Amino acid sequence: MSLAEAYPHRHLEDADVARLILGSAQGSASEAEAELYRRLAPRVRLYGLRHLKNDHAAQDLSHHVLLLTIEKLRAGQLREPEKIASFVLGTCRMVVRDWWKSTVRQEKLLQEYKRGLPTMEEFTIPEPDNNKLTHCLHRLLERERSVLVMTFYSDKSTQEVAVQLGLSSENVRVIRHRALGRIRDCMTDERSVT
Amino acid sequence: MPAACKTPLSADVLTEYWLEELEAEPEEAVEEHLLGCGQCSRDLQGLVGLIEAIRRITRKGLVRVVVSDTFLNRLRNDGLNIRQYAVKPGHSVACTITEKDDLVIARLAANLKGARRVDIVRCDAEGVEMMRVRDIPLITDNDEVVLTEATDALRALGEESMRFRLLAVDGADERVLGEYTFNHTPTR
Repeated sequence: MSLAEAYPHRHLEDADVARLILGSAQGSASEAEAELYRRLAPRVRLYGLRHLKNDHAAQDLSHHVLLLTIEKLRAGQLREPEKIASFVLGTCRMVVRDWWKSTVRQEKLLQEYKRGLPTMEEFTIPEPDNNKLTHCLHRLLERERSVLVMTFYSDKSTQEVAVQLGLSSENVRVIRHRALGRIRDCMTDERSVT
Repeated sequence: MPAACKTPLSADVLTEYWLEELEAEPEEAVEEHLLGCGQCSRDLQGLVGLIEAIRRITRKGLVRVVVSDTFLNRLRNDGLNIRQYAVKPGHSVACTITEKDDLVIARLAANLKGARRVDIVRCDAEGVEMMRVRDIPLITDNDEVVLTEATDALRALGEESMRFRLLAVDGADERVLGEYTFNHTPTR
C-alpha cells in the first residue's frame, strides 16, 4: 500500500482534517479520524509524560483525550476547527486535573466512547545509540558533563544544579545550552565513534 | 505534508518546558504550540529520548563525571550499588570493581578554598603527566572532589597503579592540592 493510500489526508493541516470530521456521522469520516488520531495522539502522550510522569498513564490520557475530541467533532460542537490545539490543550488539562480521582469514571468513559474510533498511534521515543552518546558525553568539558548528567538524571531544576555546582542559574543555562548543542553535533557527526 | 513550522520552539525552550521551568503563561503557549505542531512535538520527543539515554548511561556508570553528594544519594535511592574510595592527599588506596558494582566513586580530599580553577592530572609511576582534565566543577562546601569513573574502563584494567594529582590553576601558576594513588586489582 502506498503512503497516499495509507494516509490520504496526510497533506492537510490539522484544522482541515478536523473540518472533515465536523458534524459527520459515526463511520463516515473514519480516514480523517484516523489521521487526526495519528497526528495528535503522540503530542498528547508527550503532554501526559510531562505531567503524569508515567508512560501508561500518558498513553491512557492520549487515548482518552482523542476520544473526547473526536466525539466533540462528530457532534459538531467544536465550531472553530482552527483552534483544535487549544481545545485539545483544554481537554488535556481537564483530564489531568481529575486524573487521580476519577479512574473509575475514566473506565466508564472509555467504554462509552469506544465505539468504532480509530486508535492507531505511532509513538516512539527515539533511542540514541548508547555507545555513540557515551563517546559524545566524554567529549564534553567536565563542567558541561556534570551539568547535563545532574540535570537530566534526576530532573533537577537549573537553580538546584546551580546551587550544587556553585554556579549562577544563568551560567548553568548557558553551559546546558552549549552542551546540548555539542552533543547534537557529535551525534550527527558520522565520524563519531559508534 | 502540512506546512513546516514558521515559529519553531528553540531547544532551550523545549528543555525548560520539560524541566518545568517556564512560568505559567509561557508554559501554556508552549503546550498549545506543541499540540498543534508535529515538527516541534517531534523535536521534543528527540530531546526526551536524549534525556532517557543520558539516564541509562549514568545508571550503567559509563561516564566519568564530577558529582555532588546530593546526586549520589539520589543514585543510591534508585538502588544502585556504589563502591567508594576516599583518599587523603599523599595517600594511596587498594581498589577494585566487582560484578555487583554499578558505580565506582573516588573521593579526593583537598583544601579547595581559594582555587579558581582545578585540574585533575593522571601521572605515570614517575609522576610525569599523561592526561589532564581541565577546569572540573567545584561542588560548593566540599573539601573533596567526588567523581564517578567509567565502569567499563575500570573493568578492563589489569593490576595497575594509577597516580592522580589535583592542581589549583591560576593563569600560568599551578599549585598541587593533593596527590592520590589508586592500586587497582581486578576481581576475578
